[in-house]
Amino acid sequence: MTQILARKKHGIPNGSRLVDVLIVIAVAVICLFTLYPMYYVFIMSISKPQDVLAMNVSFWPTGFELQAYKKIFTDSDMWRAYGNSILYTVSTTVLVIITSVMGAYPLSVPELRGRKYVVAFVLLPMYFGGGLIPTFLLMSKLNLYNNIFAIIVPASFNIWYIILTRTYFTGLPRDIRESAFIDGASNFTVLRRIYLPLAKPILAVVSIYSIVTMWNNWFAAQVYLPDKNLHPLQLYLKRVLVAQTVDLTKLNSADIENAMNQMLSATQMQYAMIIFTTLPIIFTYPFFQKYFIKGVMLGSLKG
Amino acid sequence: MSPVLILIFIFCYVPMYGLLISFQDWTPGMPFMDFTGQTKWVGLKHFSTFVHDPYFWRLIKNTLVLSAMNLGIAFWIPIIFSLLINEVRLVKFKKFAQTASYMPYFISSVVVAGMALSFLSSDGIINKFIMMMGGEPFLLNMKPQYFPIVYTVINIWRNFGWGSILYLSSMASIDPTLYEAASLDGANRWHKIWHVTLPAIKPTIVVMLIMGVGGMLGADSDMILLLYNPATYEYADVIGTYLYRYGLMGGNFSYGTAVGFMISLINFGMVYLANMVSRKVADYSLW
Repeated sequence: MTQILARKKHGIPNGSRLVDVLIVIAVAVICLFTLYPMYYVFIMSISKPQDVLAMNVSFWPTGFELQAYKKIFTDSDMWRAYGNSILYTVSTTVLVIITSVMGAYPLSVPELRGRKYVVAFVLLPMYFGGGLIPTFLLMSKLNLYNNIFAIIVPASFNIWYIILTRTYFTGLPRDIRESAFIDGASNFTVLRRIYLPLAKPILAVVSIYSIVTMWNNWFAAQVYLPDKNLHPLQLYLKRVLVAQTVDLTKLNSADIENAMNQMLSATQMQYAMIIFTTLPIIFTYPFFQKYFIKGVMLGSLKG
Repeated sequence: MSPVLILIFIFCYVPMYGLLISFQDWTPGMPFMDFTGQTKWVGLKHFSTFVHDPYFWRLIKNTLVLSAMNLGIAFWIPIIFSLLINEVRLVKFKKFAQTASYMPYFISSVVVAGMALSFLSSDGIINKFIMMMGGEPFLLNMKPQYFPIVYTVINIWRNFGWGSILYLSSMASIDPTLYEAASLDGANRWHKIWHVTLPAIKPTIVVMLIMGVGGMLGADSDMILLLYNPATYEYADVIGTYLYRYGLMGGNFSYGTAVGFMISLINFGMVYLANMVSRKVADYSLW
């Protein structure tokens, strides 16, 4: 008894040290399994081309060579796709923030007449929809086929984000709204002056979800954008990494031509490409992490 | 509000109207519905064609196998991981492990598929390792029956950390006095996991499991479309990919719509049932 109390005092739970060590080892092994593939791609991308070719890289980079990166930087298709991705991501994210707030506010107002039906109207498409082909036919009818708006407009709203924002709004104290109304504020003023400033955390959650989803999306573009000049980065990557219809080693690089360059393997270029295109997400991710987790928790509350 | 409702109406409800073509022999340029006799109504022809399609059972089997592996294996990894993490006392290491485990979730499916295909290629790291151990090189295209395993491993790698957030957050809300009381009663670590932690996250597990069963036919085809090829169709082709390849790309619009319609009806029914069960068992429902 005294022993237990003494242990608690020092913050040590009862349970043997050995088990603690075993648990830490198990978690470390899991982390290794998680991180190694990414680490491997990274070290392959910067190792000596000869070693990459001979598959001599396993745990440490052999040397530090950036030829692969230099060469992919000369790829104008990649830069265009990068630009397209930024365009699609930024525009949809701005729109998604607007539509989430606009959609969520009335749903959170208890006085709205027929609110139940509006909520049902908004929720139903989360569980049932027309599916791929009718949606495709609709887009062609709207003349959105092979048009960048086919990517942007349908992604300009997301029912899930509307529900998340609504959940957040419902959690705000009702008094602020009521007292604003007594002071003669309109719904619009309340939304703009009170709810919007308070909604910053949830809008951070929504925009980060939207950014990652849009940045990583390839399927919509595959279906709606046959024109290669409109392709987002992920679709270009698909041609390089999965379909392998683009041979990066054939890139025009007259200005940095040298013997080393000839040895760059397709694999190394692909890995450099993976690192370069995933960097924005990996680097910003630690800052975004807490918002993602907040989103998961809000989402698990009943909408 | 209303602009949002209009957007929802156009992009979510109008396609539902398009489901009408699943009862027609529709070709591009025809109206979905008119009264001049232009529309060729064929009743349930496309539905019955699909059920009698030689690929029907293969598609159902593949879809269910992948979902079952997902529920039977991948589903439990985040639970085990969060139980392990919850027992780690080194705060910094715990934070690091969590951060590391979420990371793959943010890598795009194209990159994940590209990495997997490259690692599995004849001169990839996995075959290098197998040959080092003296084994025969493994080529997915030669052994398509391993597709479900490869797919499941990729899924686990990508999603287990992310999936653990939900469990970790419900563990964080456990009243610490429960653990103290258990200690006073002489409970050791395993007792505490078994009698305090697990019961606390059980409702979450039950709900996730029920919803998982409900969504079994809605297997995500995004990753499969990137990983599969004609050599692996036999084990990799699922309803979603078939719909895309044969219905949309093949221009079989009416037929494809019928397939999609049928599956989403069944799926909706299953989610509805799952929701009912979940409401009864765990007192949690989606709507």
